[in-house]
Amino acid sequence: MAGIMFPISAFAYLDPGTGSIILQGLIAALAATAVVMRAYWYKIKGFFGKSESKSLTEEEGFDTDEESDSKS
Amino acid sequence: MESITSSFRDPCGFIFKHENFIYRQVNRAGAGDFDRFIDSGLYQALVDKRYLLQHEDVTDTDIPRTDICHRILRPTQLKYISYPYEWCFSQLQDAAMLTLRVQTIALKFGFSLKDASAYNVQFADGKPVFIDTLSFASYHEGQPWVAYRQFCQHFFAPLALMAHVDINLGKLLVTNIDGIPLDLASKLLPQRTRLSMGLQTHVHLHAKLQSSYSDIASETSNRKKSKASASLRKISKRGLQGIVESLATAVRKLKLAVSDTQWANYYNETNYTDDATASKQGLVVKFLAEIEDPLDVIHDLGSNTGEFSRIASEYAELVVSQDIDPVAVEKNYLQVRSGSCASNILPLLQDLGAPAPAIGWANAERDSLIQRAQCDVIMALALVHHLAIGNNVPLEQIASFFSQIGKRLIIEFVPKTDSQVIRMLTTREDIFKDYDQAGFESAFSEYFTVERRESIAGSERHLYLMKRNVQREPEPSLELHA
Repeated sequence: MAGIMFPISAFAYLDPGTGSIILQGLIAALAATAVVMRAYWYKIKGFFGKSESKSLTEEEGFDTDEESDSKS
Repeated sequence: MESITSSFRDPCGFIFKHENFIYRQVNRAGAGDFDRFIDSGLYQALVDKRYLLQHEDVTDTDIPRTDICHRILRPTQLKYISYPYEWCFSQLQDAAMLTLRVQTIALKFGFSLKDASAYNVQFADGKPVFIDTLSFASYHEGQPWVAYRQFCQHFFAPLALMAHVDINLGKLLVTNIDGIPLDLASKLLPQRTRLSMGLQTHVHLHAKLQSSYSDIASETSNRKKSKASASLRKISKRGLQGIVESLATAVRKLKLAVSDTQWANYYNETNYTDDATASKQGLVVKFLAEIEDPLDVIHDLGSNTGEFSRIASEYAELVVSQDIDPVAVEKNYLQVRSGSCASNILPLLQDLGAPAPAIGWANAERDSLIQRAQCDVIMALALVHHLAIGNNVPLEQIASFFSQIGKRLIIEFVPKTDSQVIRMLTTREDIFKDYDQAGFESAFSEYFTVERRESIAGSERHLYLMKRNVQREPEPSLELHA
């Protein structure tokens, strides 16, 4: 079913699981917002001089702004 | 070309063995993604961070290959292969975080992991490293993470169970080769975990949705099918990264429920006076230094928190430090990870009375302990009485088992006069008629020659250095796998 809806790589040999795909669809929007919020939250905390532990996204330099999405 | 029996699922390539080296063939089917993986700089970025095992492209050599070959790679060879059910909590947690970091960087470069199996991670130099170079597929915005389910089953569910139910539950991975089923994890976790966002989402809700949609393929009701397709929303790149971040937060939050006294009790649970400890340490150093042959791998069996593994680490390339107690292994690993001792130590969980079996398809996907544990020296300190008396294994069979793995043996004989053995025998009948020093030497001389015998000052125990008899060399078939 998912193969019709999305161009999943033809060589993703693993069964992703329908329920797992649906769950991702349900939480993605909220999760995306959380990533952006977290970035601003850390900026605010940094403003107050707290050396906070970074999110994984920030540690690995994953850009949260629009321009980087153009690569795919 | 010898096939490696665990590598058969991915049409894009496979692992094989040739003249004692491990190679990876990239098939033409995987050529596009692989070339892009290298050209985009993702491979180098991961190698520079030491997240991914480096490889050498050996396509232009005479290494054998099949006719669908695109490239042949020789990855950095690992000295020992371990499996997730042999890892302590923090090892599994570090492997999980590594996988999520790799996925984050992959997304940055326009790729996504095809799988998130715990078997994609190995330990080298005291740290986890990702070994599946072919796991990177081109990412197209809108698609979900195909490996999300596998990540939850291989990593998140066992970690959650170890943290919230029992530290030993990692062993469920032996009988569940594709990770712990989420409905099982959901049932085993206490209800209070439903209040935690990460656990509620990635385990409980995940399990519920899995079972709701499990029959969708055979479901004839159009209503259910269209309801499902309506729920199949496109997922933005930021959304996907958000899911990865959510998993990272949830994994990081998990902690073992080990009390301070439990942590502190190690190495107090032994019989040693300070003099005896110093004597034993001195003897171990002496025996190791005496061995003329260069030592590649040492297995310290029943190593507790790895005190003697650290001594051994100066004499070999790698010390595999195995113990039955998950808290001891955890403590051992945390010390290695912190960098406060040598990094060529690999702490692992192992019950020598029932060591890791060969599992998976045709009982050959993942190797047993004996198949992997060939080594130069076995250290069996404060161990033999646990096997012989605690586990009722005849001394001759213990000797036989060790001879199948180790060329040499540093072994401590703990006699019945030792207070620990006295304690072991207080509530049971002493049926161990041959368990004394003479019986011990007689049983072991079937398989080994005693090179040194010294008594440990201030105790009743003796330390031996033994060498395996030539006629007891194991058969080559035991060394089939890496």
